[in-house]
Amino acid sequence: MTDPVAAVEIEGVTKRFGEVVAVDNIDLAIGDGEFFALLGPSGCGKTTTLRMIAGLDLPTEGSLRIFGEEVGMAPPDRRPVNTVFQAYALFPHMTVRQNIEFGLRMRGIKNPELRQRVAEATGMVRLAGMEERRPDQLSGGQQQRVALARALVNQPKVLLLDEPLGALDLKLRQEMQQELKALQREVGITFVFVTHDQEEALAMSERIGVMSEGRLLQVGTPREIYDRPASRFVADFIGRTNILEASVESASTVRLDNGALIEAETSTPEGSRVAVSLRPERVRLQPRGTTAAEGSSLDGEVRDITYLGHAVVYEVAAGPVSIEVRVEGEVGEPFAAGDEVTVAWDRGAAAVVAD
Amino acid sequence: MGPARRSSPTAGAAGEEAAALARRRQGMLLASPGALYLLIFFVAPLGLISVYSFATRTSTGRTSLSGWNVESYRALGDDIIVGIIGRSAWLATLTTVLCVVVGYPFAYYIATRPRHVRAVLLVMVMIPFWTNALVRVFAIRFLLGSNGPASALSESLGFGTFRILFTPTAVTIGMVYSFLTFMVLPLYVALERMDWSLTEAARDLYASGAKAFWKVTLPLTRSGIVAGCVLVFVPSFGSYVVPDILGGAKTLLVGSYIARQFRDARNWPLGAALSVLLIVAMLVAVALNQRSGSGAEDGSRPRNRRRGPDQGEAETVTAVAS
Repeated sequence: MTDPVAAVEIEGVTKRFGEVVAVDNIDLAIGDGEFFALLGPSGCGKTTTLRMIAGLDLPTEGSLRIFGEEVGMAPPDRRPVNTVFQAYALFPHMTVRQNIEFGLRMRGIKNPELRQRVAEATGMVRLAGMEERRPDQLSGGQQQRVALARALVNQPKVLLLDEPLGALDLKLRQEMQQELKALQREVGITFVFVTHDQEEALAMSERIGVMSEGRLLQVGTPREIYDRPASRFVADFIGRTNILEASVESASTVRLDNGALIEAETSTPEGSRVAVSLRPERVRLQPRGTTAAEGSSLDGEVRDITYLGHAVVYEVAAGPVSIEVRVEGEVGEPFAAGDEVTVAWDRGAAAVVAD
Repeated sequence: MGPARRSSPTAGAAGEEAAALARRRQGMLLASPGALYLLIFFVAPLGLISVYSFATRTSTGRTSLSGWNVESYRALGDDIIVGIIGRSAWLATLTTVLCVVVGYPFAYYIATRPRHVRAVLLVMVMIPFWTNALVRVFAIRFLLGSNGPASALSESLGFGTFRILFTPTAVTIGMVYSFLTFMVLPLYVALERMDWSLTEAARDLYASGAKAFWKVTLPLTRSGIVAGCVLVFVPSFGSYVVPDILGGAKTLLVGSYIARQFRDARNWPLGAALSVLLIVAMLVAVALNQRSGSGAEDGSRPRNRRRGPDQGEAETVTAVAS
């Protein structure tokens, strides 16, 4: 880590529930002011990791530091973090104001500071005028704002968000993505959020940690995760991709199992079994015979065409493998099912991933 | 086109009305056996009691239905009767409070166990409830008797034998034992429906475990507490068997007093008047409970939406039935 002190530092943390290993020996450092996403399918341990940072679950092993201070075994009320819960967990028997005040009151903060901070927080999430309503009188988006205000009013060092947008419909979710990003820039604190939605993670976060079966598979910027996935799982989980079985021929070439030799940079030793990830939108479809100046290609036959409005997806059979090609921004459909075609891509479009 | 248009909605409305009438008839048909039963064996006797409460007791102890008066109600102001009512109210209050104190942690424990353990524990709560009340009270009498095991244990520990039977303490113990189930079940239902992420949110917002309980768990289970209190207070106020058997009828309570008016003293009008008073008091308590119950439901609605309505009760019912 380049930062002198990480906002959250997780070292060798394991969480077991009886026989089940929910989180398996994780190391992770999240920088000060970072917008970090923990991404993975349900049951991958991302929520448990977040709950351990919050103190709602305690690690079985390992060390957890917040701004250098060991908090692994501290109860949730002794940690400088606050949580936006998945279904918001707003107190139904309290008004919006009472919900937002709760944390401040628990820490003995009195008027006028109390009133001022509540007013600031309600203004920040644009809830002014709703203070006397009860949570069940609010829409889903408004409840979400109350949950945010209730956490942020405490000025935590780290804000934890558990699937914060999961309960909202698509349009509202996209709006809230932008709002959350703006909010994070405004308050400047570290946001750690958990999601199973890879698009959301790519769109919102500065860095992503991809988890599966309790392990942290890869940590990187959205671009790194998307373009240079470290494993077959990451390549497959983030976006759509074509996975082609291959073995390494040299440092710059791999041979696909159908015999074709393609260019791809790899540090994996010669002869080892690998997979090649080819993004559908990074490959082109050409009439058979036209050769590309550089890069690689595979011959095949169009099997199926799916029209998506903004894009057309071709399914091309290249020997035993099937390759998805996504063409955007093209007028008309130059190819029909049964056409002999060549799938071509630029050098660097193919990513070699370890198994 | 005009007339056709006009006539068809009218026909539709008439059809709907007929359908509604048919539905209402069907509903009445379904309810009638139960309604008839309640009418004959509940409403009619209650009516009779009310009528008797305005009657006169003759010098020979017979009830004269001529000459209506409110003498019996006036007699309720008598010092002895006021004392009896006060004592009964105190015992019922004590029983209710002890039931909350004992029952809440118990219900909390059950509600926070894994699902299959909960079902077993609930059945264990229900077993004494299914046992004959008289048998249970006599069991307590045996336990607390001066030759009973409790006394023997105390003697073997060097505290000497004790005489607890036929004291208010024995009555209180028996009452709490008899009515605890009525407290535990509504509390369990309330706690089982509790959304525990709310207490987690409270902990996350700097509340200690105890603060989270007082500020979140307790207010959100208030409906269960109120329901349990009504269910315990009402029957223990008029309770007759427990004080009679464990109290040795030494400390007179309302239930025993009413029974005595009907059986021994042969003052039916007075017994009837006292009964009417108890019934009215009970109705008031139930009405208050209903009001606070609906208020608390407002608070829990968003949780219900998430978990499916009335899952809690459904589970209790199945657990009890199995």
